[in-house]
Amino acid sequence: MGLALLRLQGKPRRHTLSQSAMAVMLRDMATVHSSENAEARLRRIEAVTDTTLAHLGVEQLLRELLRRIREILGVDTATVLLLAKGGHHLVATASSGLEEEVRQGVRIPVGEGFAGQIAARQQPLVIDRVGPDTVRNPLLWRKGICSLAGVPLLAGGELLGVLHVGSLHPRTFGEQDLHLLELAGERVALATRTRQSRAERTAAEALQRDLLPSRLPHVTGMELASRYVPAEEAGVSGDWYDVFTLPSGWLCVAIGDVVGRGLGAATVMSRMRTATRAYALDSNDPGEVLSKLDRHIRHFEPDSMATIAYGMWEPALDRMHLSLAGHLAPVVATPDAEPAIADTPVDPPIGASSAPVPRKTSTIEVPPDSVVLFYTDGLVERRHRPIEVGLELLRETVRTESPEAVCAAVMASLIDAGATGDDIAVLAMRRQHPDELRSMHLEFPAEPESLAEIRAALRRWLPAVGASDDDLADLLVTVGEASANAIEHAYGPLGGTVEIRLEADEREVHATITDRGNWRHPRGQHRGRGTRLMRHLSDDVRIDHGAEGTSVRIRRRLTGDEVP
Amino acid sequence: MTTANVEVAAHDGEIDIVVSGEIDLSNAESVQDDIFAAITNHLVAVHIDLSKLTYIDSAGLRILFALADRLRLLQTRCRLSAPAGSPIQRVIELSGLASLVDVHLS
Repeated sequence: MGLALLRLQGKPRRHTLSQSAMAVMLRDMATVHSSENAEARLRRIEAVTDTTLAHLGVEQLLRELLRRIREILGVDTATVLLLAKGGHHLVATASSGLEEEVRQGVRIPVGEGFAGQIAARQQPLVIDRVGPDTVRNPLLWRKGICSLAGVPLLAGGELLGVLHVGSLHPRTFGEQDLHLLELAGERVALATRTRQSRAERTAAEALQRDLLPSRLPHVTGMELASRYVPAEEAGVSGDWYDVFTLPSGWLCVAIGDVVGRGLGAATVMSRMRTATRAYALDSNDPGEVLSKLDRHIRHFEPDSMATIAYGMWEPALDRMHLSLAGHLAPVVATPDAEPAIADTPVDPPIGASSAPVPRKTSTIEVPPDSVVLFYTDGLVERRHRPIEVGLELLRETVRTESPEAVCAAVMASLIDAGATGDDIAVLAMRRQHPDELRSMHLEFPAEPESLAEIRAALRRWLPAVGASDDDLADLLVTVGEASANAIEHAYGPLGGTVEIRLEADEREVHATITDRGNWRHPRGQHRGRGTRLMRHLSDDVRIDHGAEGTSVRIRRRLTGDEVP
Repeated sequence: MTTANVEVAAHDGEIDIVVSGEIDLSNAESVQDDIFAAITNHLVAVHIDLSKLTYIDSAGLRILFALADRLRLLQTRCRLSAPAGSPIQRVIELSGLASLVDVHLS
């Protein structure tokens, strides 16, 4: 049925108190006589074939439905109040005839007033005489409403809100009226639920897409690969993983599973990720980071719970410190031993207890060529297979291969054609062998902000090729100075890039810092110190200014562990 | 991002300035502003504590030289402390700053 037809059949009727009782009686009789017709029309009120409604949001859709209900039921106002998040308040969301209630943002506590009582009891309610003594919201009687009838909006047993209609002339809402109103309420509830869950699902999916790294970071000395497969039917659940480096050169890895589904779980997941990153900046102890995260979640997200495995790799990548909050331990495969599930103590999940719990950190030695595999329970848990069997299968599958190959093997071995009921997240990390790292090539924008990133890259690479702490400190300053010179002097306002090539053998590091600009003369006081520092802290420095740009070549002997 | 933190404690005409974090070209100017803002011309002595600093390059050294210069004009005593044997101490030693200010090894 189209809109035009509806308008023809049910012309809006406006009645004032001055109208005669006879007119009212005739009108009510007409309503009863046409009730069968009204019922049929109500059943089709939000027919999906109605293209007018297909593109509307919740508020617009409700407004249009309410306009139709008003016409079909012959009432003067029709209003929907939806239950706000938390379930303690009703908020006027849409109205036809009582628009001021929506514009004024009326909030009614559940249990209070006309709408509040309907919500609390989940029962229809009729008031024949509206006045200051019967209705709490002055808007209703100031408007001149004489009679009110309302029904709860229920979908799948869950309360969504309240629908009420009002009449500007005295009217007794009878059983037939309530029947029609309940029918209207069902349609409104259904339409609202569908619209809300569609909007929530879209938001949750967008949030999760945004949360998972679109591409894993490039970390010198560590190869990374990951897989994420959402559950097939149930919509977004709360699995997530994250890999990030710190300014200190440490590499952090987190994988977690928030209890719950949908937008709620995705929102908590995003807050957990942010909080984890924030606490990671302040501590090199995963147990401490998870303790702070636990405190954060218990206070700010009191109804949430999540498992998480959180690891922090030292800059040299030879050791990972790990803390587990109710999460499955990673699989570690080393070149010289059978792959094993890390023997790491498991503390309670985040948000599981009402008080702080002591959290442990264990340290895993990771020789070059080793693979560490993190995952969520969706990978190993199946209805038809005990988790121990899944874990054993996983352990046997992990090899010291490239992370991409490990991920592919693990997915192939643990997931068959049958549907999985849960999200699956897998993250594989492989520590590269120093032989693979003999040379490194970096390119950064020629801006001061790049200097910290350059140092972070050196802090990871140099220990991996055998540099001692002293070697590292000296090379940080020499390469840093050469880069700072390029950043400061090589380019005009358009900027450019700084290229750094590093090569190492057992005894020496060669670093070449190149720009494509044209160095200007240093300005200001206290200059020239940088070049002196570079010469003092390395074994050889050559600076070549050419037409194509400048290159600075630095040679520094590695002292290793020998006493200087 | 390079971050440094400047903490100031004043007492009896003297002032302790603790600089932690890292200093390079990207944040040298703001670190200099923070340090200079803490120093008034009524001070008798300034103590710069670099024991919590983890990186400094020539941009950072420029601050210290400029500071030493300024304090000499103000006839204010200046003392610098850095952990003995640390990379920071090594860079300061190489820069020749010790000829201008009293460098104390902690």
